[in-house]
Amino acid sequence: MGHPHIEKLDPKTHTMTLSLDIGLYPADVLYAAAYVFLDRAYVLLDRAGPRYEVHLRGKGELTEAQLTAMSGEFENELLAQALRRKVVKANQKIIEDITSQAIAGAAGGTLPTDFLAAGDDGMDFLDDPLGIAVPWEDKFKKKKDA
Amino acid sequence: MSHVKHQSVKLHRTLYMQQAVKDAATTFADFASFTIKRDGDYYAVDVKDIDPDVDGDVVAEFCNFALANTAGRKKTKKA
Repeated sequence: MGHPHIEKLDPKTHTMTLSLDIGLYPADVLYAAAYVFLDRAYVLLDRAGPRYEVHLRGKGELTEAQLTAMSGEFENELLAQALRRKVVKANQKIIEDITSQAIAGAAGGTLPTDFLAAGDDGMDFLDDPLGIAVPWEDKFKKKKDA
Repeated sequence: MSHVKHQSVKLHRTLYMQQAVKDAATTFADFASFTIKRDGDYYAVDVKDIDPDVDGDVVAEFCNFALANTAGRKKTKKA
């Protein structure tokens, strides 16, 4: 059986055991899903051959329906964590690039004073060697006169 | 209400990190004494002298801490 299934469920002791295929769920997905449940259940992980066993015991009293619902939530959490892992893996390069850009920006960008520090070429701000500041009319007039 | 003074728990070595289990034992050292031994594929943890005044399941909380510590350590190791 590939998907998770309830191995044992005992409402008297508020316990339940889930069995998962090792090949379907990597260990870090199992840890992440189990971590989410630590605040409302006692979680014990175990291995039985090619399957993980997840023993859950409610911190409060749980009915059979609540225990079944909890097992469904655990399975959902496994899928959510597996997808999360896949998305992170696919976008690893983008995440790294954005992070390194953010760190580089925080380390200090180019300041206006950096331009002042550059070598002085001896030119005044009114000098216009490329003729950029010459009005269009003057240029046109010259052409027409010539 | 009766209090169990001695309990033992087995944690699979492929799923729980030794240092994570030790750290959890240190965390709960004020409430019980812990002995961690290797037993085949498992860490066998003997929990003795459990403080009867503690409101809660010391061993189960210890297991949750061992799991949380392992998950945290594995995550840090990967990053």
